[in-house]
Amino acid sequence: MDRRTAVKNMLIVAGGMVLIPSCLREEGGASIELSRINVSAKQEDLLADLVEALIPKTDTPGAKDLNLHLFVMKMVDDCHSPEDQEVFLQGLTQMNEGKKDFEAFWQKETEEGLSDFAKLVKNRAIQGYMNSEYVMKNELIYELIPGRYNGAYKIEEING
Amino acid sequence: MANIANTKEERSYDAIVIGSGISGGWSAKELCEKGLKTLVLERGRQVEHIKDYPTTNMYPWEFEHRNELPYQIQKDNPIVNRCYAFHEDSAHFFVKDDEQPYGQTKPFDWIRGYQVGGKSLLWARQTQRWSDFDFEGPLRDGFAVDWPIRYADLKPWYDYVERFAGIAGDKDGLPELPDGEFLPAYPLNVVEKYFKQTVENGFSPAKVISARCAHLSQPKQIHLDQGRVQCQNRTLCQRGCPFGGYFSSNASTLPWAAKTGNMTLRPDSVVHSILYDENKQKAIGVKVIDNKTKDEINFYADIIFVNAGAIATNLLLLNSISSRFPNGLGNDSDTLGKYVAFHNYSARIYAEYEGFQEYRTDGRNPAGGAYIPRFRNLHKQEMDYLRGYAAGFGANRMRSSDQSSYGIDLKESLLEPKWGAWGVSSHMMGETIPKKENQVTLDKSQKDKWGVPLLNFDIDYDENDEKMKEDYIDVMTEMFTEAGFINIRPDTRWQAPGLDIHEMGGARMGHDPKTSILNKWNQIHDCPNVFVTDGACMTSTSTQNPSLTYMAFSARSVDFAVQELKKRNL
Repeated sequence: MDRRTAVKNMLIVAGGMVLIPSCLREEGGASIELSRINVSAKQEDLLADLVEALIPKTDTPGAKDLNLHLFVMKMVDDCHSPEDQEVFLQGLTQMNEGKKDFEAFWQKETEEGLSDFAKLVKNRAIQGYMNSEYVMKNELIYELIPGRYNGAYKIEEING
Repeated sequence: MANIANTKEERSYDAIVIGSGISGGWSAKELCEKGLKTLVLERGRQVEHIKDYPTTNMYPWEFEHRNELPYQIQKDNPIVNRCYAFHEDSAHFFVKDDEQPYGQTKPFDWIRGYQVGGKSLLWARQTQRWSDFDFEGPLRDGFAVDWPIRYADLKPWYDYVERFAGIAGDKDGLPELPDGEFLPAYPLNVVEKYFKQTVENGFSPAKVISARCAHLSQPKQIHLDQGRVQCQNRTLCQRGCPFGGYFSSNASTLPWAAKTGNMTLRPDSVVHSILYDENKQKAIGVKVIDNKTKDEINFYADIIFVNAGAIATNLLLLNSISSRFPNGLGNDSDTLGKYVAFHNYSARIYAEYEGFQEYRTDGRNPAGGAYIPRFRNLHKQEMDYLRGYAAGFGANRMRSSDQSSYGIDLKESLLEPKWGAWGVSSHMMGETIPKKENQVTLDKSQKDKWGVPLLNFDIDYDENDEKMKEDYIDVMTEMFTEAGFINIRPDTRWQAPGLDIHEMGGARMGHDPKTSILNKWNQIHDCPNVFVTDGACMTSTSTQNPSLTYMAFSARSVDFAVQELKKRNL
């Protein structure tokens, strides 16, 4: 099996969701299959750094560990209008041209009010994070099968 | 295989049921239990309980788009995309817009679920009985025609279907919403209880009760016998329930019917028309288009139950043409397809409540919260509009986090969400008045891929609906204000009729063959071996969610039909 086939057969997990890897990565394309937008390998790496600055690794996994940048790309590719996609791609291009201080980017955006690009990336990254397997299994537990309903549950009982 | 039998004899049954949704499942179960060899025709694909619920055990992170539907799917399906339950986890149970196009003289959102089980997989599971305040409505207030039945006719059948389906509810002792054979109700939460006190103290005669719903809060032997167990409070019902925790044809009536050995279920069978024999002066069978092969096949039976779903039943009857019935089967009165009505869901209201900070809910409530039965114009006409509305009411407490920061601050904030104020909401369910001009008709020039004429909708709200909507908002605003709710936000955004998914009528019941299609047994006046027990039969709409009433009609009507068959009257 050559390396490309091996890569293709490997599945990428983004926040718990399985994505289909693309074979374009080695040719400078994105690492996952995208159907409506073109993202270069360089842009993908940049997006990874950008969302890592938003949700950094601490003693718990950060954006890169959870592949949140791939989730953002997947959602922009499938679930956004062409107008939003344009905003996204232009934002990535502009970032690529500017100096790559991602913390400074979020600081400036936060102080001055989020641009459409920053808003899109931030919302999707937070969504991917909050709905990630890691967070839903370890931090804010999602119960598939609660098996109960209590309409008068005292909060002190859990929070102390 | 009986399905592809060649001889007419092999394609003959005692009974045919058209449709396998909530009413068809009941017709099938009752006919099979009474020993009739029954062919159940379903236009959609097979959906077997549990086996064909592909998303049922998926966690949120396992959905490719976290339960959001891709942009292109939403864009290609503006109609079904407006339905609250159409998401990544359930989209496979909905009919897409281009599958069966239809005309709209006025906008109508026709939400369909074509598969074995139909919309019984997707329904909101609210099961409130009708009362004589509803059945006597048309007579008292002078609209439509008098219902040929009263509550007493239906009561034993409500009892009967409730025992089998499993309905959770309290015995509230309200004549406008009769009590039934209930499993334990789901409790109101602290804020819902508080709102109940506020309303019942200050806004008599309005009442707030726990919504009655088709969930096994505490299953009985009859439910375990169906292979169903206690509802696990997942509230992921639209995916199909692996526990059979809520009632659906797939979990309940169809397997029960199959167990008798008398049912032949044939999916992918689009019924084109009902065949009428001019000599025998009755229906003899149906013409089916096989959805896979597009072959035309006739099936025959002594009696036919039409349970295609209110609007699809209208389409089928209108398209069943003979020299005796040139304008549709049983349509001597020229009322077929007319007097279609629905529920006015066009207003909601939202607010917040800062009380009960020490409480939250734990687990999830499949009943959805509280129900406010109709109280307007109940005992006598008192408003400047006819009839009234019921309302849903629910309170929820959510955790949320400040998302304004970035970096470590943001991450910490996201992982330590705080309990906010309670969110409260209500929506109206208004009775609409059936009118002749609110109708569906066949498009003479265009046919669908099964060779059936396209249907055209000409259905709209009227001034009565507008007045009722204003009153609902006024009343709820007053109730919310009195309860100390804050940030009260009425939402009166227009929505097309149909999005309520409570479309009814078109083949209404009545005493008089000159003004109605069906008699008091849901039997076509002039074609007595055809019965219609889905939403098409409804003479008026009341305010209650209608499915439970369709179930009761189906069981009652089968009982009558089989007696008639034995007496050789059919």
